Amino acid sequence: MKKMALLVAALVVASGLLGMAEETYVVGSDIAWPPFEWVSEAGDYIGFDLDVMRCIAILEGFEIEIQDIAFDSIIPGVMAGRVDIGASGFTITEERAQVVDFSDPYWTSDQAVVVGIDTEMNVVTALSGGARVGAQRGTTGAAWVEDELEGRGVDVNLILYETYPEAIMDLIAGRLDSVIQDEAPSIQAVDSYPDQLQIAGVIKTYEEFGFLVRSGDPHGLLPRIESGMQKMKDSGAWGNLVEAYFGPTLDAIEAAWEECIDILLEEGDVEAYAQCLAERAAE
Amino acid sequence: MNSDSADHLLRVEDVHKRYGREEVLRGVSFTMERADTKVIIGASGTGKSTLLRCINKLTDPDQGRVWLENQEITGRRAPVNRIRSQMGFVFQDFNLFTHLPALDNVRIGPQRVKGIRRREATTLAQEALATVGLKEKAQSYPAQLSGGQQQRVAIARALAMSPKLMLFDEPTSALDPELIGEVLEVMVKLAKEGMTMLVVSHEMGFARTVADEIIFMEGGVILEQAPPESMFRNPQHKRTGEFLRKISDLYGESE
Amino acid sequence: MTAEIWSQVWQFTPTLLWAMLINVQLLLALIALGLVTGVVVALIEVYSPRPLAALALAYEWFFRGVPELVLLFLFYFGLTQMGMDISPFFAAVLALGFRSSGYQSQIFRGAIQSVPPGQLMAAHSLGMGTMKTIRYVILPQALRLSIPPWSNEFSAVFKDTTLAYGIGVVEIVRQARYISVRNFPLTLPVFILVAFMFLVLTYLGNWGLGRLEQRLHVPGLETHAKRGEAREL
Repeated sequence: MKKMALLVAALVVASGLLGMAEETYVVGSDIAWPPFEWVSEAGDYIGFDLDVMRCIAILEGFEIEIQDIAFDSIIPGVMAGRVDIGASGFTITEERAQVVDFSDPYWTSDQAVVVGIDTEMNVVTALSGGARVGAQRGTTGAAWVEDELEGRGVDVNLILYETYPEAIMDLIAGRLDSVIQDEAPSIQAVDSYPDQLQIAGVIKTYEEFGFLVRSGDPHGLLPRIESGMQKMKDSGAWGNLVEAYFGPTLDAIEAAWEECIDILLEEGDVEAYAQCLAERAAE
Repeated sequence: MNSDSADHLLRVEDVHKRYGREEVLRGVSFTMERADTKVIIGASGTGKSTLLRCINKLTDPDQGRVWLENQEITGRRAPVNRIRSQMGFVFQDFNLFTHLPALDNVRIGPQRVKGIRRREATTLAQEALATVGLKEKAQSYPAQLSGGQQQRVAIARALAMSPKLMLFDEPTSALDPELIGEVLEVMVKLAKEGMTMLVVSHEMGFARTVADEIIFMEGGVILEQAPPESMFRNPQHKRTGEFLRKISDLYGESE
Repeated sequence: MTAEIWSQVWQFTPTLLWAMLINVQLLLALIALGLVTGVVVALIEVYSPRPLAALALAYEWFFRGVPELVLLFLFYFGLTQMGMDISPFFAAVLALGFRSSGYQSQIFRGAIQSVPPGQLMAAHSLGMGTMKTIRYVILPQALRLSIPPWSNEFSAVFKDTTLAYGIGVVEIVRQARYISVRNFPLTLPVFILVAFMFLVLTYLGNWGLGRLEQRLHVPGLETHAKRGEAREL
């Protein structure tokens, strides 16, 4: 009987160890939305969301595999168990919360309205009086125009795009009056075309981004994600990542990333990595 | 009965075939010996072609049995393909394989059915084409041949299988009048060389000069069966005489 | 567009060509799957007993009726949920391949039906069984007749390979998007380059198929379809 109990105990321990050794989770992200996630010119998956997930994985002791997947496919992938964590600038909404579980919010974003540099338009005129407004399909910007403007009888002409760069290109070509999009990518777009684009204004929507997992959190990931985020905030790593990713140009971020990433991936030092990235990117 | 049938080359016994309500064959029996040539005549719709197709089972008879020598093709587990490969069949509209040159049309049987090596099959095919006088057309595609030439290739295709029996289903009916002669000529030659042939045809000249026996069918049965001279001179049934007169008026008695 | 922009685009050409290789691999795998399955489905539709033929028609109806993206999702996520670990690439091959087989089977069905029934009887009369008849008489004619409509399907399916990014296959359009979100000014030129690559490859593919058709040309075969129709009337 005792022998039996020992054997069972050994098996439990062994399976626990095995489980830990093989604990790799698939992180799904639509890697075309700088600075949250994009593919660097060197071909690496880079961005705020992805680095946060890498840091959390190290702090919480699991492995991740980042998979690029179309935005619309991420939630179905999570529901099907194909993707374990969705990390792609997901705004926490009630609709989504019905089919997946969200972490605590990690980012608060507002919507920026981008217009041409020569225009007299302000935020109000850029979004009324029959203005042609571009937005990426499925984003909060698009939903905001539909609910808050069209839904309330404001005369706007919403045009949806698969990606926001396409909307920006149409704005430059003069086929749109404005483009509504999250603030950080909007800033990046204006940085790319400083002599053609400007931000007319920011709409405070306070939408919150969260990481998401399968409903019911079968792998118990949310507590570990939240604990990892807390550790990063406590150590200052979080602040450094924010500094590194929101402000500097993409070229600067990429150069810094190539220089510093080994500190994270080889040495596993989250704090030192975040500091390195912030310092190099600022140069 | 089996030992009896082995004495004949072909034995057809009480074959019936019905399409829907219409009974096309109502009990047909006859036999053929080696080197026999028999011509089946009769008005259209009397079941001549159906009978021919029942013999090699392109059509399934509802009832009755057919033997080639001692092999029964109508048996439930009969090796139909093997028995068919011993009977040549020449169709009214040739039915050559469009995608193959004449030589390949003729070679495909020996090569793919009998499994004869390509080189030997080629020799066989060339010989068969020579027999029908089309050696020089070996590389022509069916679309490049006249109707008469196509039918001769079809005869060569059947010949190359070295059949024990050849079935001809109105082989000249689809041909322009000036092309009929070349096909009949080949058939006469085959008959003289001792091929066993069962021919459905309206060519009375051919029937008269070549057939050992004429089979007159009417209403799904054999009404009369006799050597040509006695049938033409002295038909046993009134209907036979009427038919022979009508057909002679229509087609004449060329050759 | 300035020369400077084009020289930048030129820099990305190798990356784009590598990504295009994924589309080409996807194309070859899925069109081969579609070809084999399509021929089998078409043969079943034409030659097998009613219930089986109805099943094949239902198959065709399903794969032609469901949108590509939905099929991709069904195969990728559906098979995962059934416990199969399937890569996005393989899921895309299956989804798009079976879809293409629905279209290809229609092409082959028409071509098979245009082989005159008399030739089948002739084959049987020589002692050929069904399989030999299909192999030596029906398919050589049906496949030849299928080449022109098949090259349409080839072009259509080639373009469909770009949908595979929806389930995470990093193919050329995805790669182009990587470049464009990183370099806004390159968006238009990069997609012009992608369009050009598709046009060139589609042209080459159709040219090759045209050459194949010429090489396999047989006098009299092309008129069969018309003759078949005339007979039905």
